[in-house]
Amino acid sequence: MKRVNLFAWIIFILGIIYFFLPLFSTFEFSLRMKKGVYSFEAYRVAFQDPKFYYNFGYSVLWAVLTILFSLILVVPTAYWVHWRLPKARPIVEFITLMPFVTPAVVLTFGLIRLYGSPPLVLTSTPIPLIAGYIVLSLPYMFRSVDAGLRAIDIRTLTEAALSLGAGWGTIITQVIFPNIRVAILSGVFLTFAIVMGEFVFASLLSWPAFATYLEEIGSMRAYTPQALSLMSFFITWSMMMLIQWLGRGAGRAEEIAVGH
Amino acid sequence: MAFLEINNVSKYFGKTTAVKDFDLKVEKGELVSFLGPSGCGKTTTLRMVAGFEVPSEGQIIIDGKDMTFTPPNQRPVGMVFQAYALFPNMTVAGNIGFGLKIAKKPKEEIEQRVKEMLELIHMPGFENRYPHQLSGGQQQRVALARALAMHPEVLLLDEPLSALDAKIRVSLRAEIRAIQQELGITTIYVTHDQEEALSISDRVVVMNNARIEQVGTPFQIYNFPQTEFVAQFVGTLNAVLAEIVDVKDGLLRFDGQQVHTADKLEGYRNGDRIMVAIRPERLSFAHEGRKANILTGTIKNITFLGSIVRIQVKLGESVFYMDTFNNPYLTLPNIGDPTEITCSKEAVLVLQQQPA
Ligand SMILES: Nc1ncnc2c1ncn2[C@@H]1O[C@H](COP(=O)(O)OP(=O)(O)O)[C@@H](O)[C@H]1O
Ligand SMILES: [Mg+2]
Repeated sequence: MKRVNLFAWIIFILGIIYFFLPLFSTFEFSLRMKKGVYSFEAYRVAFQDPKFYYNFGYSVLWAVLTILFSLILVVPTAYWVHWRLPKARPIVEFITLMPFVTPAVVLTFGLIRLYGSPPLVLTSTPIPLIAGYIVLSLPYMFRSVDAGLRAIDIRTLTEAALSLGAGWGTIITQVIFPNIRVAILSGVFLTFAIVMGEFVFASLLSWPAFATYLEEIGSMRAYTPQALSLMSFFITWSMMMLIQWLGRGAGRAEEIAVGH
Repeated sequence: MAFLEINNVSKYFGKTTAVKDFDLKVEKGELVSFLGPSGCGKTTTLRMVAGFEVPSEGQIIIDGKDMTFTPPNQRPVGMVFQAYALFPNMTVAGNIGFGLKIAKKPKEEIEQRVKEMLELIHMPGFENRYPHQLSGGQQQRVALARALAMHPEVLLLDEPLSALDAKIRVSLRAEIRAIQQELGITTIYVTHDQEEALSISDRVVVMNNARIEQVGTPFQIYNFPQTEFVAQFVGTLNAVLAEIVDVKDGLLRFDGQQVHTADKLEGYRNGDRIMVAIRPERLSFAHEGRKANILTGTIKNITFLGSIVRIQVKLGESVFYMDTFNNPYLTLPNIGDPTEITCSKEAVLVLQQQPA
């Protein structure tokens, strides 16, 4: 037992070092903008650049649009699959996993080819970008919503609402949505984190975005990119922590519900 | 005209026949239960009345209106499900008032109705509880109140007690029956528990293999089962294949024993083989008083079941159950003892052959 424990600890510590050392070095480096002293000068400079706000703002906009449309797409689809087509679930799940096997570059060129020439020219609009992001976040969004729907008895709740005279709008907004809110939020935060850090789509479709900005100044400056990449990490992490925090609350509520 | 008519309804799911030629008229205020083993089509029939399934053939008529194709949210029907059907995000009041809120009733009226309903189910003051703060039995009572709050014309219950433990099941079924009679609401109650069906129903529909086997009062179903399936499924039963010795006399033979039946043997000839059945409680020891039929055998086993004692008697190849009431002065035979048991002619029931 002791040996196993020791071994596990060593692996764990190696893992921590592997993960945190680069972060720590980046952080340490980002503090050295002023010669001889540690300071937050790099952060001050980074936040002074108007282009930072411009690009960051666009990324937030893309994230919000992606979330909005992917919710409209995923929630009713997942709900319908659960209620009426449970046999189709594996197929839908497989489709949502496509971005894992299709590299983003391939996807982008696909989008450009399809929407760059008639009959449907959309490359001057951000539609291909948002569509790409939706595809990219599909595995996370679908899985979150799917897990939420599986935790409640969708069919019985829907039928109970129907027999009380409810229509579809009421059922979705008052019965389904509130009961999978936590699951939806975790999908939302994951999508937000993904879009905020995404580079390939924005770069190839030439739209302003946080990641492309980061890459751009990375080739010109030394200290501020370090500061900004840490910030990018920070965004992802806070999203993860939010999900954890929400998930804990939900887990407790379910325990109570089951444990009577 | 009956209040609820299920006219020759059939339902097919691909190659599966879930319900076949189901024909039933339910009177206003009647409680009819659908009784049968799992998979026999009870839920599917109920769901067609509720509107969740559309019949492949036949019609559903409620209060004279053809509702075969009416969507569920436009039918005057309330439904109680097996379990977990309360909206977890709403309080008890929110659940009970849900339908009324959708119907855009004024707030005071909803509050008033919720209060009445909570009194009806003996749970006053539970307005602000959430479903997960209630026991299983309380949840089902709230589900009943929610279905009744809309003042539906037909109430449907699909095995509402099967997720609860035995004690609560018995008390809650009595409560459901009392409420149903108080409101005089036309009700269909699905169950696979024969005791439940017999104890709360005005009439019982026994189903098997997508079809109706028999419709009748609990008394008729239990005492005069028409098919072997009904006889076997409702209560315990001794059933044997017997040969007709004399049609006119009602004389039958099985395992070297001869018995008379009071049932008519019309349409049969001497030598035909038929199923006959005798309920365990209609058999008794011959030394306590001889009746028309005497059967001889040996004691195989004795089981003490509380208020009754069940004795297994071996008669040739078959083993019969015999029930006697327990009392402290009962003298029981020993296993292996030879014995004579007896029953009346009326106790020997002739069962219809299963339709091929
Ligand atoms: N939606 C469905 N699709 C396919 N088969 C179904 C469906 N619903 C019920 N069945 C089948 O119909 C038969 C009757 O089912 P059901 O009405 O649920 O029986 P019960 O309620 O008596 O247990 C079963 O064989 C079941 O598998
Ligand atoms: Mg069923």
